[in-house]
Amino acid sequence: MTILNRVAAARPGTSGRHSRLLTIEILVLVLFALMPLVLVLIWGEDDSFFWVVFTTKVMLLSFLALSFDLAWGYAGLMSFGQALFFGGSGYVVAVMSRDLGISSVFIIVPMGTLVGLILAALLGAFLLSGSKTPSIIFIAFGTLTGSYAAERLARAWYYLGGQNGVSVSKAMTIGDMPLYEGFGFYYLALGFLLIVYIGCRFLVRSQFGLVLAGIREREERIAFLGYRVQLTRALVFALSGAIAGLGGGLYAFHEGFVWPALMGPLTSTQAILYGLFGGVSTLIGPIIGVSGIEFATIILIDYLRDYWIIILGFLLLLVIMFRPTGLVGLLVSERERIGTFGRPGVDRKSDTRGD
Amino acid sequence: MEGTFQVLFSILSWTSVMVLVVLGLGVIASMMGIFNFAHGEFMLLGGYTLYLFSVWGLPLWFGIVAAPIVVGIVGMILERTVIHRFYAAPIAAMLGTYALAVIIRETVRSLIDGMYLRVPAPMDGLVVVGNISIAEWRIAVLVISLLVLLGSYLLVNRTNFGLRVRASLENPELARASGISTSQIYAVTFGFGAALAGLAGALMAPLLMFSADMGLKFLIQGFLAVMLGGIGTFEGPALGGAIIGSMASGLPYVLNPILADVLVFVIAIVLVKFRPTGLVSKWRR
Amino acid sequence: MTNLINNYQSNVQLTRRGFLQNAAWMAGAVATGVGSWVFPAKWAHAAGPIKVGIATDLTGPISFAGIPNSRIAKIAIDQINADGGILGRPLEMYLEDTASNEQIAVGVVRKLVQRNRVDVVLGGITSSMRNAIKDVIVGRGRTLYIYPQLYEGRECTPHLFCTGPTPAQQCDDLIPWLIANGGKRFAFPSANYVWPRVLNEYARKSVENNGGEVVYEEYFPLDQVEYGASVKKIMDEKADVVFNTVIPPGLAPFIKQLYEAGFSARGGRLSCVYYDENCLNFNTAAEMEGLASCLDYFQNIEDPFSAELQATYQKKHAHKDNVLFTAGSASTGMYRGIKLWETAVKEAGNVDRESVSAAMDHAKIANGPGGPASIVPGTYHTQMNMYIAVAKDGKYEILDKAEQVHPKECG
Repeated sequence: MTILNRVAAARPGTSGRHSRLLTIEILVLVLFALMPLVLVLIWGEDDSFFWVVFTTKVMLLSFLALSFDLAWGYAGLMSFGQALFFGGSGYVVAVMSRDLGISSVFIIVPMGTLVGLILAALLGAFLLSGSKTPSIIFIAFGTLTGSYAAERLARAWYYLGGQNGVSVSKAMTIGDMPLYEGFGFYYLALGFLLIVYIGCRFLVRSQFGLVLAGIREREERIAFLGYRVQLTRALVFALSGAIAGLGGGLYAFHEGFVWPALMGPLTSTQAILYGLFGGVSTLIGPIIGVSGIEFATIILIDYLRDYWIIILGFLLLLVIMFRPTGLVGLLVSERERIGTFGRPGVDRKSDTRGD
Repeated sequence: MEGTFQVLFSILSWTSVMVLVVLGLGVIASMMGIFNFAHGEFMLLGGYTLYLFSVWGLPLWFGIVAAPIVVGIVGMILERTVIHRFYAAPIAAMLGTYALAVIIRETVRSLIDGMYLRVPAPMDGLVVVGNISIAEWRIAVLVISLLVLLGSYLLVNRTNFGLRVRASLENPELARASGISTSQIYAVTFGFGAALAGLAGALMAPLLMFSADMGLKFLIQGFLAVMLGGIGTFEGPALGGAIIGSMASGLPYVLNPILADVLVFVIAIVLVKFRPTGLVSKWRR
Repeated sequence: MTNLINNYQSNVQLTRRGFLQNAAWMAGAVATGVGSWVFPAKWAHAAGPIKVGIATDLTGPISFAGIPNSRIAKIAIDQINADGGILGRPLEMYLEDTASNEQIAVGVVRKLVQRNRVDVVLGGITSSMRNAIKDVIVGRGRTLYIYPQLYEGRECTPHLFCTGPTPAQQCDDLIPWLIANGGKRFAFPSANYVWPRVLNEYARKSVENNGGEVVYEEYFPLDQVEYGASVKKIMDEKADVVFNTVIPPGLAPFIKQLYEAGFSARGGRLSCVYYDENCLNFNTAAEMEGLASCLDYFQNIEDPFSAELQATYQKKHAHKDNVLFTAGSASTGMYRGIKLWETAVKEAGNVDRESVSAAMDHAKIANGPGGPASIVPGTYHTQMNMYIAVAKDGKYEILDKAEQVHPKECG
């Protein structure tokens, strides 16, 4: 397949080098944007309410999945701790709502983002600092420990509600208007997701993205060229934390409740599974992964009872064993997945990455 | 005085099981370079075996013996079918074994209806000496763990089999050239690591409330212990397990149990940061 | 008493999957998801069936309580249906498994309220579960919520009725009894969440008012397994009474380790206000010997109605497993809650939340497990009989009965 693409790319005027990936991205956007309207037309407002709320939750979880993709798919950090940022900002926001009565979206969103950013920056600094390059395993366990310790702490600390977690009974407000879960929240979440997604896309297709790709492929060579590898990765990690934090803040208000496991290893591994399923290093992959797994779960679970989660385990095992590029990898060529960087129109050799 | 003894004994019995778990994990990590996320679930299977024996009315001591055998066989089968594909890719190994863990855990959960169950111990009495009373089963756990540890050490370092295992670890091609079947060795070693976890699970099950989530707690502590102790030797994981185990059971005596819980992990990861190859590093490539 | 339509085969074997498969009482249930069932209405009515949502822990550490909860709910609903339903309309029961997991619970309760549009929700066992789901039901869901379990009090939310015992009902008589039959030095080993925290505040005051003192108080994560340090402290402080609020899964190891340390052997008195006959499922009779509990019902109280209800439950379920109909499992509160709600709906003449709540405010039932019960107007809480009992050889010996104890909440 690689050879064919090399050939295709070499011919001038080949229609859309990015056509497949872009098509998928636009398709997903259109689906999300139109879904509530279509549902209301078919089922009416009352019956579609549940699905609108459910899909909003899926979109908010997409922030988590996206953050994992940035960390692993682009910075090469196998993070078992993205939930720490997602849940951590959820907690901060929930406590602020409980103690200070804050509910305005104009405070929640920046606050959540900031909390995620700071937590990730601190953890990243700790894990990536030092003269020796930390091993992948160390990163994995360092993040896992962070996530686990946060969960244990939240479970233990009564101020954070202990086992109970913290209820967020106030609705989020935009100015004076309360925004409960529903159509309004749906489009708000979609809007934020879109902004974040486009931002990330620009980033990874830019020159900076090229450096990241280089780090993933040939770390020593990039370092040799003068780039500060660990700093770069730490920056991307911090960004991933910010994104997870944004999602987490919104999630707290949407669900009305934060609990210790939201910061813990189980949620973190969920993020990894969403990413793997959909396909890492693609940005759209994890979003497809979340949607796929969550929708399949809620629909199929009707018919498969207890066995669904076991089947899910098998599916994931198969993905890891045979198709590590995930669902997106099925549809999109290797070259398109990695993408090109910088200015369009410049001919690029296909990379030699084997997967 | 008696209080101190009881405290020490309590710490010791917990630590000994921890070491058993970590040893299995460490052996697999050292031999094949993979971190087995399903290790906690091997413990679960061991406990489940004992539970089945109790429900079927079979002698519980047989259950204790059966647990490592059953789990060891399961481990070997998994190694031959799934795990060996991951040897070159540690990340894939972590994730793949995680998926396996999900499968095993949820299957057991579905078999026990998600309930939390009591598993009886083969020895239910108390040993009372003066003011000290210790459960007979805890003594049994300590004794069995120590015997198994000793036996494992002798097996790895003093037998022909152990020699072949170590050879396969250090230089697989040369080992194969010398006629050692490395794939067989890997299967047996993985099975051995699994069996250790299975035994630990069966030993632990009467002391906790048995449930499908039993393995998770030990998994994370186990991994940190392995990283702390260092990969590549027998002593490393044992040491790491001893440290983590005694910290986890000892710190609550001096601190708030809540804080102690979190502190164990923080201390461990900080230690690993500053000594990435572990405390006992004889990692040979 | 009503006749029950009892249609289980006599050769149903003891199966460990009792609840989910071959459970003849589930015959007629339609699975609508993992842990979701609906028992369809048995006849049609112009206004449609009345939908009752039951959200309880069928799996997980609290399943020992959730399972009998759901069974007694079915029995109560069957009885009402056998009597012609309410206002001529049949009751349709929607059952959801909250799995002892607040995260899952929020999702399934949302389903009940938003998707199934039930007219009332009964359920939640631990206080953390109640806190997680109450806003989804009462706030955003605008549905009536009845909470059936003993708890720490202070829940004064409109449209949220509590039909289980409160701290006043459980402690006011028990603590003096413990001081008289145990000693003055109290230890409070507790799980780290809202129920033990708030209950301990009340209990501490009660202890001190009665001349005792609290010499030890410690909070643990729910899944703590090693209690060596804590047990040692309890013994060192020479506590006479251990007033336990540790819950499963940490409960069994704690009780075991306390026993092994010789607490009871030295004459110590164990006490736990949610301990009932089901707790034999997690420790041996020896480990709980002498334990004192104060609940609204025990299996061997003298009350004909309770005895008949117990017999009904036993006939349907005893062969399956050891999960019994008891007060600590919220089952008595569940039955009480459904029957009180039934009278409220009959009085209101419809299922609108406002009118049913108004009627519920003064609802009374003459017959319930443990005796009659009534809601104390303006407080959302229930007045009921309370019994002090002590465990002997795995059974409870009733030592005291208090009639129609006032809940003393929200007043």
